[in-house]
Amino acid sequence: MSARGARRFVADLLRGRRPRSFRADDADVGQLRAAITLRAAEPDSGTPSEEFVTDLHRRLAAQLSPEQTEEPLPAPRPVVDSTRRRLVAASSIAVAAAAAGAVVDHTVISRGPAQSGAGGAPTLIPSTGQWRTVSASADLAEGGVQGFDLGTVVGFVARTGGVLRAVSGVCTHLGCRLALDAAARRLDCPCHRTSFAVSGELLRYQLPVPPAALPQFEVREMHGEVQVYAPPGPV
Amino acid sequence: MALAAEVVAGVIGRIGCGQAAAARMGGGADERGVDGPQLRVVDGEFYPDWEAVYRDNVDRVYRLMFAKVGNRPDAEDLTAEVFLAALRPLRVSASVGEVRAYLSATARTVLAGHWRRTLGREITVLTDDEGLESMPSETAAASDATARAALILAGLPENYQRILQLRFVESCSVREAAAALGISVAYAKVLQHRALRRAAQLEVDR
Repeated sequence: MSARGARRFVADLLRGRRPRSFRADDADVGQLRAAITLRAAEPDSGTPSEEFVTDLHRRLAAQLSPEQTEEPLPAPRPVVDSTRRRLVAASSIAVAAAAAGAVVDHTVISRGPAQSGAGGAPTLIPSTGQWRTVSASADLAEGGVQGFDLGTVVGFVARTGGVLRAVSGVCTHLGCRLALDAAARRLDCPCHRTSFAVSGELLRYQLPVPPAALPQFEVREMHGEVQVYAPPGPV
Repeated sequence: MALAAEVVAGVIGRIGCGQAAAARMGGGADERGVDGPQLRVVDGEFYPDWEAVYRDNVDRVYRLMFAKVGNRPDAEDLTAEVFLAALRPLRVSASVGEVRAYLSATARTVLAGHWRRTLGREITVLTDDEGLESMPSETAAASDATARAALILAGLPENYQRILQLRFVESCSVREAAAALGISVAYAKVLQHRALRRAAQLEVDR
């Protein structure tokens, strides 16, 4: 008897309670829709309560914080069981939404070109580039790090275990220029206390979302010079 | 990048009076505690982090959902579901417009899933036109909801209009509504039921 179900649904709606589930039929749909539309015109229906907004913020922070993501599963909180089921359901919804035509191409889901350098960080290969000298080989001894500024790009080149590696000198969070702490072989962001290894990996951060590793440059050694593949200098 | 940095500065600037520490710890202080218009990021700009995405859109998503389910507990659950589903895969390198389009698409899926789970039929849907991108200001949204309700009421006889207005829009109890109309409680119930059935019929005819 869905007439009863619909009646109870409307009564719940009017009491501001969560309406109970029932199997609705075609005759119910219009009535329920009208009831919802009328109810939505109730003056203070529009804004979420402050408690709700604060609590959801806390739940999201727990979901998105780095400490939590290292665990295989977020620790279930001692709340009603339906919340957990909802969370499980939620993860598949994002996928469904993506399939439904949401804007989730590369601009949303990932950034940078397909080529990957060490540590999963993208390698910066400019559309128009040339090999540009950033240091004399002699000036970059084993364990050494040097900054370079080519006008179009800035970065750091390091020789570690005989291998040369060059990374971008711009923080992946908001673009502040990184400073070299030569003693610690570390690149520090002056803006938000983020640090990267000279190989580009993220070492520490205090942001809600970990910034990406630093993009890598292609680097080579030729005729006693260390060179990176970079865009030509500004004219 | 410069724009994003300004947004960050703006957000921090807005948090005042002992709230900054709590906000930094993710403790949930947000702009809602501060009077005045909320900080909004305009289209074409970028969000600095997920918290900015949340702050800027939580009211919109909630309003969108309330208009489609008509009650607070469901609107809250569905709003939570949208953010829990959308924020994890989201990278804030997307523009504000792209983030909102993605949240809207997630909201559509979440709402459809809600009706499938609870009633087995899609009572209401979020159309492509009803997204966060095109969402009007808070006051305009409220007057939108009022206009949609008025459209339903306008097609009904006066006593039907009045019972629905009293019960749904003004949140009167049956008893209060009956008293206001000078009818018995039992008749007020019958009247309400008939009025709603008629409103549904009008919608079908339309």
